Amino acid sequence: MIQYAAIILFVFGIYGLLTNRNIIKMIISLNIMEVGLFIFIISIGFSYDGIAPIITSASGSGLIYVDPLPQALVLTAIVIGVGTTALALAIAKSIHNKYNTFNLDEMEEEL
Amino acid sequence: MSPILLVAVPLLAAFLSILSKKLAPYLLLAVGVFNLVILFFIPLGFEIIGGFNQPLGINLLLDTYSKIALILINVLIIVIAFLNIGKYNKFSSILLLAMGGLNGLVLTNDLFNLFVFLEISGIAAYLITSSNKKPVKTFHYLILGAVGSSLFLFGVVILYSMFGTLNMVDMIQKIQITNNYKELILPFTLMFIGLGVEAKLLPFNSWVKGVLGKSNTLSGPMIGGVYAAAIGFVLGRYINNLFMFEGNLLIVVIALLALGILVGEAMAFSSTKVREILLFSSIAQASIVALLFVNGIVLWAVYYIVAAALSKTVLFLVINKATKEVGSDEISKLKGLFSNNLVVGVAFTLVTLSVMGLPLLVGFVVKLNFLTELAVNNQIWLIILILVASVVEGIYFVRMLVKLWYPEDNVISVKYNLSFKVVFVVIALILLTFGTYTAPLKNYDNTIDTIQEVVDNG
Amino acid sequence: MKNILGLFVALLLGVFIILALDTSASFPEFGDIDLTERVSDEYLDGNNIDDVGSANIVTAIVVGYRGFDTLGEVTVLFISALGVALVFGGVPNKQNRLDLKFKPNFMLKTGSKIIFGFILVTSLYIIFHGHLSPGGGFPGGAMIASAILLLYLSDDKFRSNVKGFKLLEGIAGSLFVIIGLLGLVFATYFLQNFLPAGTVGEILSAGIIPIIYVLIGLKVGSEISGIVDNFLTEGESV
Repeated sequence: MIQYAAIILFVFGIYGLLTNRNIIKMIISLNIMEVGLFIFIISIGFSYDGIAPIITSASGSGLIYVDPLPQALVLTAIVIGVGTTALALAIAKSIHNKYNTFNLDEMEEEL
Repeated sequence: MSPILLVAVPLLAAFLSILSKKLAPYLLLAVGVFNLVILFFIPLGFEIIGGFNQPLGINLLLDTYSKIALILINVLIIVIAFLNIGKYNKFSSILLLAMGGLNGLVLTNDLFNLFVFLEISGIAAYLITSSNKKPVKTFHYLILGAVGSSLFLFGVVILYSMFGTLNMVDMIQKIQITNNYKELILPFTLMFIGLGVEAKLLPFNSWVKGVLGKSNTLSGPMIGGVYAAAIGFVLGRYINNLFMFEGNLLIVVIALLALGILVGEAMAFSSTKVREILLFSSIAQASIVALLFVNGIVLWAVYYIVAAALSKTVLFLVINKATKEVGSDEISKLKGLFSNNLVVGVAFTLVTLSVMGLPLLVGFVVKLNFLTELAVNNQIWLIILILVASVVEGIYFVRMLVKLWYPEDNVISVKYNLSFKVVFVVIALILLTFGTYTAPLKNYDNTIDTIQEVVDNG
Repeated sequence: MKNILGLFVALLLGVFIILALDTSASFPEFGDIDLTERVSDEYLDGNNIDDVGSANIVTAIVVGYRGFDTLGEVTVLFISALGVALVFGGVPNKQNRLDLKFKPNFMLKTGSKIIFGFILVTSLYIIFHGHLSPGGGFPGGAMIASAILLLYLSDDKFRSNVKGFKLLEGIAGSLFVIIGLLGLVFATYFLQNFLPAGTVGEILSAGIIPIIYVLIGLKVGSEISGIVDNFLTEGESV
């Protein structure tokens, strides 16, 4: 089942977030988790006989399309993910400017 | 007048505000006042967007429940923005977006749209906490918030693939037809965790200490007051209408929430820093609110949220202002804070007593009423739990108040502006008024949340 | 110890999700969905397609049916661009561009400027045909930003006009909301289509959808370019 592959990717991301102490690696884990979620969202709209939901001049009645709504949702979710990642990277850079390290354990101030 | 203006106008103002940095703080105040004024002219009911009926398009729902939330959110944002004018001008655009995001969060009747607004207000919150200048803590909050909203989205998507709709009313109707609760455990758990991160529920609240423990006069009241209230309202609506906690899941949820109350109060009891006492007590309050909603006590949970948001705003403003001038928030360093600030001291004391639930104040009325309703529901253990928590709360708050009133040798002087004093006194007076004159509170009942009614009537 | 605990939690979550989905009768098998039970069936209905006028149904959903989500989505990108600028502190100084490790030669600089034009034209094509073919404002906007990034990477003296980008993103965002509000004035509801839908498949069709998608393209392009600029210039950090 391809959906389970997406869930495993999601779980990998969670594992990375729980165990990594490096800020950049945490951001990468967050993205792996999100990619797993996006693939899962797309997968729930798939249909074996379906075609892309775009009307062309050849389109007649009786055609089967894949579910267009999950595709629209995933577009929104991807853009939101980009925004969060950009902000996280900016904060990571400002942490690096302040402590000169990306590793949470090496920072002098108590966390 | 359409409720969409409450979201669209702040967003429009935010887009325009980056063109002129100087005008942004005033634009924020103007939009806030505009929102409050039109709120009284908008008729209650559904508002569809784009001209597509539900469930095709997105729609908003304005009922008494969301109206109370909207008034609270907009008033508090105006007050906080006004008090911080000149100090955090860079954050004006972000506060505008936070206002639009929180208004949308409370209004929307669409599950995916809620996720979008959760992200808007979430990113605004991360940026507001960046004013603490503790980037590691902000980063921690961001990661937890992003994971939380991803889990929420996961749950929403699973619900969509099961029922084929994203509209809340439509979803509840379809769930009632199927009525197979076992299948819904997974999506509901994921969504509950997602909302629980923002709502400071145990065990997803490890960000709170870093963020509120280092807060300032902007981030403290915003995150501890406004955001807590808005998320409380959303969580309430979802627990009340959508989530079905039954059997073992119900026991787990109640146990987690009860543990949240106990841990929050115990941590507050053992803390020596004023800000930490306040933040741990808000963790306990968040759990109490969720517990009330789980037991179906809507009205008094709403009043509890409102009272908590008003009190926490005052408490965080007083303490964060003092901390900034003294340089520490240890109780021992703030001894005698109120000996020179009588007005602030009296207001602070009244607010604290209301949080503790002493008679003549709103906190008492709210606590008495929800304990009565819990007794009607035969929830004896929860009553005992909340009473024990109140006693612990009483001990540490009184201990703190005594130290804050009685000076030691070195007198500390913290100057509060007139505008700060006015806000403190007004909020204290509101708590006192509704604590003694309780008739208007009883005008409503648990049906202020109208979704169930709409679902039943089709 | 921590790794084992993390592994345990992650495994538990994964097993919980997979088992719950596997045993659920309502959750459809992969590729075996029944569209008639979903709201999407209405989106694919012939009359609704003619009413909205967009040949690309995904675009019809993104900008039409769920246009409010898209407004929120644009806002998320806007606030994170704002946040990146805020975290890096104030107005970036023109002198403070990060240096490249190599000296770009003439061929690289000129070549990338030629490619820049091609990327820009392609991205505009994608934006303008968002309602007819796959693509639209978001991918097109990201392509504009990638073209700007190319110039940054191939020329060590290059600085884009950040003020201009700010102006563009502010105006494009405001116009999006204003078009929505015009729907409230000329029609009944926010973001309602008040222009004729036209014939499905023509470039001038689908009413306000292409207009909004062009605005989104400009806004996304200028926002991501602004983020790129913020990362490649050293400002004073918070």
